[in-house]
Amino acid sequence: MLFNIPFLAETATQDLVSVAPWTFIAQICNLFIQMLLIKKFLFKPIREMLAKRQELADEKIRKAEADQVAAEELKSSYEKNMQQAKDKAGEILATAQKNAATQSDEIIRAANEQAIAMKSKAEADIAQERRKAVNELKGEIGSMAMEIAGKVIEREISEKDHAKLIDEFIENVGKA
Amino acid sequence: MDKLSITGPKIRFEIPYDFPLLGRIRITDTLIISWVVMLIITLLCIWLTRGLKVEKISKKQAFAEMLVEMADKFVIGNMGEKFAYMVPFVAALFATSLVSNLISLFGVWSPTADLNTEAAWAIVVFIMITRQKIKANGLGGYLKGFTEPIVIMTPFNMLSELSTPISMAGRHFGNILSGVVINGLMYTALAVASSKLLGLLPGAVGALLSQIPILDVGIPAILSVYFDWFTGVMQAFIFCMLTTMYIANAAEA
Repeated sequence: MLFNIPFLAETATQDLVSVAPWTFIAQICNLFIQMLLIKKFLFKPIREMLAKRQELADEKIRKAEADQVAAEELKSSYEKNMQQAKDKAGEILATAQKNAATQSDEIIRAANEQAIAMKSKAEADIAQERRKAVNELKGEIGSMAMEIAGKVIEREISEKDHAKLIDEFIENVGKA
Repeated sequence: MDKLSITGPKIRFEIPYDFPLLGRIRITDTLIISWVVMLIITLLCIWLTRGLKVEKISKKQAFAEMLVEMADKFVIGNMGEKFAYMVPFVAALFATSLVSNLISLFGVWSPTADLNTEAAWAIVVFIMITRQKIKANGLGGYLKGFTEPIVIMTPFNMLSELSTPISMAGRHFGNILSGVVINGLMYTALAVASSKLLGLLPGAVGALLSQIPILDVGIPAILSVYFDWFTGVMQAFIFCMLTTMYIANAAEA
């Protein structure tokens, strides 16, 4: 038989401590093959992945920094806008207050004017009424006086003749 | 089985042609199990690195990353940044040694119980050490180093140089072999003990039960914690530690 088929024949064994050159050579080769296999299947993929992760982390940091800058810009622009808005609001408030003051002044003045006008109109009315009353009185008193005088002196007094006297009298009454 | 024999690996296959110097190619258990070990390590690597993600990693990936980081830390910590290219070699050495040591737990021949395996590794390391020494001192400086401090010390210096790989190989082999021997003794002794103990039972029951080595169940596992697990991990670690130390030291002077 050319080969020693395993399990069929009584398997021979090597001595416990023996030099087997081919085993020795094979084990050296095995060690280096194992090294290459570990390098290819463990170290290479893991290192590639780690490098990728590093890159990703770097990118994230860069992005975060850029974001921060942008955020700060945004913040300052917001602050500026805010200040502008505040200023404007103040302005509007001041204008409104001024307007309101002006308006209220106007209203008060208008009311005052109206009151004054009403007062003067009332005064004028009163004066006119008085005048009217005086005129009526004048006529009545004149005729009454003439009637009385006529009765007293038993003679007719010409109205025309004595109108002047009566007027004077009434004038004096009006002044009194 | 009252007789215990401890032998080398079984020869499974032989090419009956005598090469000059090297002799016959014999495929022994050492080689077959070595290939199994390589297959296990490689498949483990492939499995560990499957579906790698950059973010939200799985436990498996965290473990794989931890292994790589540990290997980096170990080699660069012991040897310095310039030996970063040695990481895969040391990792392969450690992984092969560890799995070879522990595979005996499955009841198969451990490749590290064959001195040829350790000798092969030690020679590779020895060549690396020598290469670093020549690189650091030049060939003349390296050779001159043997004659120091005085010329008469030359043979002793050569002896001490050669003792490095021999001690490395011998230490690893001896520790693993001791485990194999102790385990063999233990199993045999416990089988004999259980046979005698159950043989005390009367009649056919005792005769039957005494055939079953009941004491072999469980008890050797306790010893195996030290002789297989502890020694297996320790020797793999020590071998790698010495490898990195020797090479790093060689590069210095």
